Order: sequence, then C-alpha cells, then structure tokens
Amino acid sequence: MMVPVRCFTCGNVVGEHWEEFKARAKEGDEDPEAVLDELGVERHCCRRMLVSHKDLVDIVAPYQ
Amino acid sequence: MVPDYDVTFIERGDREARFLVRDITPAFANGIRRAMIADVPTLSIDEVRVIENSSVMFDEQIAHRLGLVPLTTPDDYEIGETTTLALDVEGPGTAYSGDMVSQDAQVEPADKNVPIIDLKDPEGSETPQRLEVEADAVYDRGREHAKHQGGVAVGYRHLQTVEVVGDTDEFGEDEPHILRGVIEDDGELVPTEEFDNDLTNRFPGKELVVEDVPNAFVFHVETDGSFTVEELVTQAVDTLHDRASDLKDAVQL
Ligand SMILES: [Zn+2]
Repeated sequence: MMVPVRCFTCGNVVGEHWEEFKARAKEGDEDPEAVLDELGVERHCCRRMLVSHKDLVDIVAPYQ
Repeated sequence: MVPDYDVTFIERGDREARFLVRDITPAFANGIRRAMIADVPTLSIDEVRVIENSSVMFDEQIAHRLGLVPLTTPDDYEIGETTTLALDVEGPGTAYSGDMVSQDAQVEPADKNVPIIDLKDPEGSETPQRLEVEADAVYDRGREHAKHQGGVAVGYRHLQTVEVVGDTDEFGEDEPHILRGVIEDDGELVPTEEFDNDLTNRFPGKELVVEDVPNAFVFHVETDGSFTVEELVTQAVDTLHDRASDLKDAVQL
C-alpha cells in the first residue's frame, strides 16, 4: 500500500528515497538503475524494495 | 594492559565507513560486530496513542511504520527511558516522518522524507482524512527488538594479499577472477571495486595466489542515521569493555 519504511532483508531505510525514485524513474523517463545508484541504494535487497513497489492508497481509498 | 589496535580507514563517512583493524583475533572481530548489532542502544517508537486515524491504514500498521523510523540518539539516556513525539497531519497530503515533533530537542527523525501514510480528502466526506498520534520512543538495545539496531549490514572480511606466482597458460581460457573486499598490494590498501572486483584487470596474464592476512579484518559498517559510524563503533567497543570488566569483578576472589 505505502512504500515499506525499511528494506525487509537488511534494514536499511528505503522509504526515504521513494518519492524521488518514483518521480524520476517510474513517472519520469530516467533509467531506474542510474537513479538508484545516485540515491545510494546499493544492495540488491534494497533496490528491489523500490523497483517492485506500487502505491495502492488511491485504489483502496474509495472502499474505506 | 589494553593493547593499541592499528586502525586504518579506507572509506569514512557519517553513515557508512570501511576500516581495517590489525592484530585482533577472529573472535574479537566477531565480538565487535555482534556488539554493534545487539548492544548499542537507540531510541525507537514503541507505544502509540492514536487520537484520530481516519486514513486507509489500521492503527497497528501506522504504529509499525512509526516504529521503523530511525530517531537521532540523545547522549544522556538510560536503558528504558522514554520521550514523546507527536504527529498531526490533515489531508489531502502525505504525513512524513519529518512531521513528527519531539518533546526532547535532541531527538528528531534521522530521515525526514519517509512517507508514513497518504491522506486523502474523499469526495462526499465532510472532513479530510486525518492522522493525529502521540508516540512514546523508548531507549533500548538491538537484542530487545530489531528496530533498536543502529547498525545496518555490519560485517567484516579478512584483508587479503595477492601474490603473483607466474604467468597464466597463453592458450588457456580467459576466466575472470572475482574477488570482493580489500587487498593489500605492496603495502597499499586497494578496495576491489577499483578494478571492478576482477583480479585479471589488475594482474593481466598472471597466475595468482590469494591469501587471507591473519588477524587483519576489514569492517564495513553502516548506520541507519541514529548516530554516526564512529559513535556506533566506539560504543560497541565500550560495551565489550564494560562486560569484560564486569566479568573480571565477578570472578575475583
Ligand atoms: Zn536491503
């Protein structure tokens, strides 16, 4: 629903970078790999947290 | 009595560092690692009083997310001591970790940009969604709960040496020789990233023997922002020191 605060595997705080990643790589046209490198999200475990995330609040909100 | 350890920094930042320590035993290196993970206390939100939550998430989910936000560590707290933070955000908009207001000026979210919950202003509803909570952060150790771990991905590797023992077979296959960590080459410390973790880039066409340097460990330490790497490591070593002296006192006649 909301981006996880921390990486499930290593505990690094990844939520911090979500909005920038979303704006630049998901909605923008930058290369996700380059954006993650720039944000300092180095490990595979942390990178998959952002790459595989989808915000669902907008989808769930009408049913609350 | 306490020997001096030879410490060399390879990379040094506030939240991430790599350093080499010589003349320590593997057991002591692991002791430091474990102390960094389990023994150095940090503040973390533990109890949340929900005054209003009309968001799409349950109170428990919000509390869980708040608990994971790293908080800066004050320097005069005892284990179990608490401080209070408040969060009051009304939609439409997002409640961020940085919106939390703390009672103690020394305590603030280390990362201010973590979205806690997206608040909407639904059509047909009289008031927008709102989140108002009061949270108690408690000062405790990583062994109590993982959210109190200040160190993230703390580990170490042996320092390694690479010795050239001859030339590779001219007609042999060109296979990469992948190595990660830090190597010592003619007294110089070289992180393997410098040659793309492939020894054949640095020593092309050579037959190599890689060996661990006994009792030399390269630590890689990251923190979640609760404190700097330096504070984490020194506090970890202090807890080991305290426990050793407690043991010494306990077994004394
Ligand atoms: Zn991770």
